[in-house]
Amino acid sequence: MRKRTLKRGLTGFWWFTLAFLYLPLAVVVLFSFNASNSAATFTGISLRWYGRLMGNEEILSAFANSMILAITSSVIALGIGCLIGYGMYRHRHRKLGWLIVLIYLPIVLPDIVFGISEMAFFVQIHRLTGLLQPGLVTMIIAHVTFQIPFVALIVYSRFVGLDPTLFEAAKDLYASPTKRVVHFMLPTIKPALISAFFLSFTLSVDDFVISFFTAGPESATLPIYIWGAIKKGVSPEINAIATLMIGAVAIAAIISLVFSRRRQA
Amino acid sequence: MAYTGVMPSARSRGMVREARHLLFTVAPGATWIVIFLVLPSAYLMSVAFMTNGSYGLPELPLSLESFRRLAGFGFLGWSPGNLYTLLRSLWQTLVSTGLVVIVAYPIAYYISTCRAKWRPIMLLLVVVPSWTNQVIRTFGWMNLLAPGTPLSELAEALGLISANMGLYPSNFAVTLGLVYNFLPFMVLPLYAAFEKLDTAQVEAAQDLFASPIRAFWHAVFPQTLPGLLAGIVLVAIPAFGMYVIPELLGGGKGMMLGNLVANQFAGGANWPLGAAGAILMLIATFIGLYAMRRIGRRLGGGEEVVI
Amino acid sequence: MNRAIENREGTPMSDTITAEAIESPGTRPAGEATQGEAAREASSIEMRGLHKRFGRDTVALDGVDLTIEAGEFFTLLGPSGCGKTTLLRILAGLEEADDGRLAIGGKDITEVPPHKRSVNTVFQSYALFPHLSVRENLAFGLKMRGLPPEEREARVAKIAEFIKLGDLVDRRVDQLSGGQRQRIALARALVNEPDVLLLDEPLSALDAGLRSQLQVELLRVQKRLGMTFVFVTHDQQEAMVMSDRIAVLNGGVIQQVGPPREVYERPANAFVARFMGHDNLYPVTARQGARLSTPIGELTAENPGEGGLLLIRPETLDLLPGEVAGDNHLPAVVSERLYRGSHAEYRLEIGTSTLQATLNNRGRHLPEVGHRVTVSVAPEDLVTLSE
Repeated sequence: MRKRTLKRGLTGFWWFTLAFLYLPLAVVVLFSFNASNSAATFTGISLRWYGRLMGNEEILSAFANSMILAITSSVIALGIGCLIGYGMYRHRHRKLGWLIVLIYLPIVLPDIVFGISEMAFFVQIHRLTGLLQPGLVTMIIAHVTFQIPFVALIVYSRFVGLDPTLFEAAKDLYASPTKRVVHFMLPTIKPALISAFFLSFTLSVDDFVISFFTAGPESATLPIYIWGAIKKGVSPEINAIATLMIGAVAIAAIISLVFSRRRQA
Repeated sequence: MAYTGVMPSARSRGMVREARHLLFTVAPGATWIVIFLVLPSAYLMSVAFMTNGSYGLPELPLSLESFRRLAGFGFLGWSPGNLYTLLRSLWQTLVSTGLVVIVAYPIAYYISTCRAKWRPIMLLLVVVPSWTNQVIRTFGWMNLLAPGTPLSELAEALGLISANMGLYPSNFAVTLGLVYNFLPFMVLPLYAAFEKLDTAQVEAAQDLFASPIRAFWHAVFPQTLPGLLAGIVLVAIPAFGMYVIPELLGGGKGMMLGNLVANQFAGGANWPLGAAGAILMLIATFIGLYAMRRIGRRLGGGEEVVI
Repeated sequence: MNRAIENREGTPMSDTITAEAIESPGTRPAGEATQGEAAREASSIEMRGLHKRFGRDTVALDGVDLTIEAGEFFTLLGPSGCGKTTLLRILAGLEEADDGRLAIGGKDITEVPPHKRSVNTVFQSYALFPHLSVRENLAFGLKMRGLPPEEREARVAKIAEFIKLGDLVDRRVDQLSGGQRQRIALARALVNEPDVLLLDEPLSALDAGLRSQLQVELLRVQKRLGMTFVFVTHDQQEAMVMSDRIAVLNGGVIQQVGPPREVYERPANAFVARFMGHDNLYPVTARQGARLSTPIGELTAENPGEGGLLLIRPETLDLLPGEVAGDNHLPAVVSERLYRGSHAEYRLEIGTSTLQATLNNRGRHLPEVGHRVTVSVAPEDLVTLSE
């Protein structure tokens, strides 16, 4: 009896929490279709704000920057992180405390400290050598830095989950070191590589603070553009671009759901 | 088959090979992190001990001026502004972490009691909002809490805020934004703990203790503690250094340490002062991590607390 | 470096596998004899002075000298940590000896890496690749050696028929049971036609029934192929059933090498005797020719040897009811009896010593607990060994 009321109460709380989680996003989506430019009252459906996006050079270039940044940094981080993950696995019986500290550092460092450290460093390097002018390159460097640990840990835990004699079986079955990488290791950790890439990509697109402090005047990404627009005064156009980004996330969520379903089957 | 080799040759050859392998796999990433994170952070820390130059850039000589400024001593004598900011950061961290625990605990439990088929979808539903950009999520709350919106008018009607003020900008809005932002970070580790829950223990406890509250306290809660601690680390540390949410939802009176630090760099105002603030933030971070590890280890869940 | 493999390219051994499997299971076709001899020579194993340490002070192998004949079913037997697995891994090339030499077929392969050795292993955990199908698992070694796809397929089909895998070949690895995995692992190693097959406790994860069934199957495969098998186990029963010869290891040192009967009936020392399951060991306190004094009494041995310990195998004992005087007769009291149907195991007390005896149940009198009996043993069944 008591159990059932508890369960019912929890179910109610669950739906309330879901509403809490999705309400802000729903409002953004709703107002992106608002006919008037009021942020408080909905006056009718229109697509005018989406129309405006298409003609906005700044937004298009911000989108391009976001994509270049996310893809380039994820690819670099995948390569470097994959190597570290394998190294950590292969040498897991050694004392690698210093390496663990180094790898957790980007994760535990507060965003803001991370961002301003990079900014201060890049500014001084640029002053001294003329290299590393703030822009896409510095942003990519910063993003790779915080992506590496995640890739390394995902790859590492995949290796740890494997039967260690598989490595020996590959050697035993005539696979040379190169062939072991191509025909055994890479295919075996492929799921981990895919999820590491998507996680890196998401982290990059999701990041604002670190991008904000390492960006140059020409390299604004979508979040930086939106930030600027909000600071200048709320415009309904932000709702439209934000809605598109929410849509992208929703699609990613559905894809990940389908994938996990298929893996279960 | 006569063999007269020196014993260590094969051994040392193997060791050299292994060491080279370690270097080859680990060096690129380790070097990257050292050059692009350890060095910059070290530089930032050294900046805190320099003098503020004419363009907001650090200059020699070394001094502790920035820490004096951080404590509130300026040209015009002492002012409590920075101290308030610091206390507000601590307070917001405490309150929002507490609220996140209160919401996440039943949610994680609820998910673990649902049918196995639904659990991944439910977790996904909790996590998906955090996949959208922080700025957009916070912007959503700006839309919701602005003057003239239903929520603001409701608060007005209840007499919680004065007319036409809106719920944002305010400290309340910052707390709300923090809770919203970090909820998934708490639900995930707690859910993992609930999923591993040893139900035999719970049933034994129900036999032994008459009241369900005591059964919960003695059998369920201790088992979820590692997940709870992991969640607290994941929420409290980034909450303390939060920049975006107080900047957008807090206004002038909602500023937190992150904004104080950032402002010293954004406007070119005072690098050493900002760096001093960053050091403070780092100290708080490492104290938090250390405390959680200690507590976690004493409770026997030490390994799992390591995020 | 893979002379044996290259030798066989002309008349691939896989042909003989199928020929044998189909035509005359159990007997060798006449035409194969000469080729069999060639294979024999190529696959003998010689180990000289192998040493291996782990870390500073864990000695895994302490000077192992061993010769394994071509075509032998050879077993490395010992308790865990005795070095048998290390020795097998050195044969496979998965571990490098600190010192010593290793040759297969007369060719020194001490420094040849594992992927260049014509040696394959059946691992204890089977180590089937989870990302590949069973068929791809079977073909993995052939693919790595660069065989063209048609030949790989033909060889996989032949081995599948030989091991009688049936439709297992088309399954996914995670759909296989333990016994099926074991057979796939065996087939995956055999398909490469190595000079030597290494088996690292391949049956230890299986339950008893399946285990004895696969023991028979494995033995049959080895006899048909005439391939050198090196088998690692800690189970002395299994070792005795399977092996042509057994090497008993302890503390990284070989204690005894010989055929199963010799190791069981004439163990070289107390360790081997105890490991083979013997408990009836008594110090020889004095001896006069063939007359030995022990704590359980005076006994005459036909050919006692020089050792200081007397071994009495339980199954050589006879129990006579009551007290019967005679040579090699000892009075005893039954303190425990385990009736096992086909036989009964006894614990007897002679003074303060105990003696184990096993009696076949031929329907005759089986003494009960508390009965006074006389233990009788033939002089030719008594041996001594050193501590």
